[in-house]
Amino acid sequence: MDRAEKIGLGVATAGHVLLFGLLSAGFLSTPNPLKLNSPPMDVSLVDEVALKSMAPQLSTQPPPPSVAPEKGPTEDAAPAPEPEPQPIPEPEPVPAPPPPKPVPPKPVAKPAPPKPAPAPPKKDVPKATPRPKPAPEKPAAPAKPAPAKPKPAAAAPARSAQKPAAKPKADAPARASGQGKAEKPKGSLLGKDFLKGIDTEADAPRKAAPPPAAAMGPAQKAALDAEIRRQLKPHWRPPSGADADQLVTLLEVRLDKSGNVIGAPQVIDQLGVTASNRPQAQLHAERAIQAVKLASPFRNLPAEFYDQWKWLRPLRFDARLNR
Amino acid sequence: MPEVGAAVGAAAANATISPLALFLQADIVVKVVMLGLLLASIWTWAMIIGFSFTLRKASKQSAAFERDFWKAEDIDRFYEARGKAEFPAARVMAAGVTEWRRSTAQKVIDREGTRDRLSTTMSSTIGAEVDRLSDRLNILATIGSVAPFVGLFGTVWGIMRAFTAIAAEQNSSLAVVAPGIAEALFATAIGLFAAIPAVIAYNRFSHGINRMESGLTRFADGFYSTLSRELEAQR
Repeated sequence: MDRAEKIGLGVATAGHVLLFGLLSAGFLSTPNPLKLNSPPMDVSLVDEVALKSMAPQLSTQPPPPSVAPEKGPTEDAAPAPEPEPQPIPEPEPVPAPPPPKPVPPKPVAKPAPPKPAPAPPKKDVPKATPRPKPAPEKPAAPAKPAPAKPKPAAAAPARSAQKPAAKPKADAPARASGQGKAEKPKGSLLGKDFLKGIDTEADAPRKAAPPPAAAMGPAQKAALDAEIRRQLKPHWRPPSGADADQLVTLLEVRLDKSGNVIGAPQVIDQLGVTASNRPQAQLHAERAIQAVKLASPFRNLPAEFYDQWKWLRPLRFDARLNR
Repeated sequence: MPEVGAAVGAAAANATISPLALFLQADIVVKVVMLGLLLASIWTWAMIIGFSFTLRKASKQSAAFERDFWKAEDIDRFYEARGKAEFPAARVMAAGVTEWRRSTAQKVIDREGTRDRLSTTMSSTIGAEVDRLSDRLNILATIGSVAPFVGLFGTVWGIMRAFTAIAAEQNSSLAVVAPGIAEALFATAIGLFAAIPAVIAYNRFSHGINRMESGLTRFADGFYSTLSRELEAQR
């Protein structure tokens, strides 16, 4: 090893020590651009997806308009002289004086075209208001009712006739209003007249608007099934025998709101019937029905989901039920 | 020492990966590999530095010697003045002159035999000079070809160990995998760090020695033709 090599060795050693020292001290260090610590992620466990929405339904229709305030502001009706004193007996005076003129012609006019029979009353009866009603009811015998009616009509102004009469009136004023008798019908027909602008036909569907009853979620359904099964279990004694554990009886059971069975459970179907367990099949079904009857009334069923358990179909009885 | 290593390791974990931390974390086999490669690298650079000095000095002296030789009037006097120097061209000339003097000292000169001996002596001296110069050049060649494999061995070993650690921890997050693989790859890095300069230097020095050999051969041929002419003149 000559001098040059000694120098070379010394320089190389010094250079390596220097280089690695600098590298160790962070020379040329690049700050880690990728922060590898990934922050924890929020994971929420959601329920099994149901096909039906379980949220209460919001009614898209506006609430039905209150009728009372509309009737109140009838200023036209207020001046009406006679009927005002008693609000309730209002209808009474109406039928008595006016009927002869406006009412008979109209109701009679309708039945007249289709049936010749009512025609005679038309001439005879200027007196009887209720006549038109009975007349269409019994087209076969117009003559008999005619005499009968006049008496009640005369004696008791409209007490008995009032209700039958109310209907014809409802129709009548619409046409009758055109005739000079506007004031008196107005008093009695106030409600209908003033509701003209309101869609009265829409009232019925509004009242029947879907209640906010919830559909059951899968978890609730499972809980309900488990509850029913739990209550059936002590009363369920399946027959034993060859292959009897393969038998499955499907029942249809109706329950009332307190959990009592309505009527007798019906066997919908029996599954798993083989040649070897056929003798037990009938017994199996009977035991199933017996179990339902013994378990009745069912307790602890949620009343708000009555729709879901009022008709249990199919109610399954098999070997698993008593496991 | 362990606490120093732990501190360095902690610093490396959150800041950067320092060579010292990687070395201290490594397995014993990988440590041996790394140390060996580091020594190889030091040796390589020592040889590069020493050899470049030697080769440059030799070629410079030989070039100056040849220039002066062709200008010289009397070969004997030039030899007495400068022929005892210790560099390749001077040695080749010394061998030639020595053989010339021995051959012409006798009463009867065998010209053909003398030419053969002169040629053989000088070419063997050139070979000896080249061998002496390229003595440890094969070490550079060996380091250049073997160091990458040694580094790769360390890497494979370290990665095996890292995967064993992953299997033991049953946690394959990048934070667990990364340090082991980084320290394993560091072995290959050192191997390449040693091998690349070694290969470059080997090629460079091979070329320098070839050039010097051809220069010496030209000088020897010129000297040989001069001596051969002298031999014919001697009666």
